[in-house]
Amino acid sequence: MILLVYAFLGMGIFFGVLGNIGVLRFPDVYTRLQASSKCGVTSLLSIFIALMLLKGLTPMTLRILVITIFFLISSPVASHVIGRRAWEQGIAPWRKKPESRD
Amino acid sequence: MDVFLRWKIIRIILTAAYLMVGWILFTGTLALFSIFLGVIFSFCIAFLTYNIFIEESEAARRALLPRIYLLLVYLGVLVFKIYLASFKMSLAVITANMNPRIVHFRTRLKSELARVVLANSITLTPGTLTLNLDEDHLIVHWLNAKTTHSHYAGRLIKSHFEAWLRRIWI
Repeated sequence: MILLVYAFLGMGIFFGVLGNIGVLRFPDVYTRLQASSKCGVTSLLSIFIALMLLKGLTPMTLRILVITIFFLISSPVASHVIGRRAWEQGIAPWRKKPESRD
Repeated sequence: MDVFLRWKIIRIILTAAYLMVGWILFTGTLALFSIFLGVIFSFCIAFLTYNIFIEESEAARRALLPRIYLLLVYLGVLVFKIYLASFKMSLAVITANMNPRIVHFRTRLKSELARVVLANSITLTPGTLTLNLDEDHLIVHWLNAKTTHSHYAGRLIKSHFEAWLRRIWI
């Protein structure tokens, strides 16, 4: 069981770091939002699952479950708000340059 | 009894019931005093806020009681898909190989809540991010786009979720 907890915590760290690298590396608002929303959610979700496994079946687990569900609702909404604002401002999404023009 | 009064009472009781479930989950005890306090306060809060949580028209009545057991299965499937999405995403971060496009499509879901859950699920799963949700029209940013055709893109992105959500919220 403790090994599973370590595996989930490790996955949390892994995705957190990769999400941050993605935010620094990607070209425009939308792709950066993609990296931060997905990897950020997975990183925190892994940590919450690890905590739930660590606690076993206690009232604390239920509380963490409620927090997790709230997080799953609120985090996409946050990235959705940023993306929508950028879309309404008319920021054009980045596109791959066609190969033939080089 | 007046129809409006009855619907009002039903709304208050339903809001109080949802609040009560939250109270029990957070306190984690079934002691008599705790439940007594929870009932009193959930009815106070429900009396003040039922108008915000449950709208007055009875049209969306079916959306108030989703099928909980299917919702739990859906949550499990969603968590699994989030992990798959993140592995794909980390691959994209490492290789920086992508082809982003904006696609538009429509959904057939009726209930507002189901549409919100659909938009959130799309944001959480492989390489797609909901930018706008206007009635039934979704604008989605798609990393690694395979097509820009509206109907085909819609089928690729939302297919499973929409089928599940139609069973949960009817």
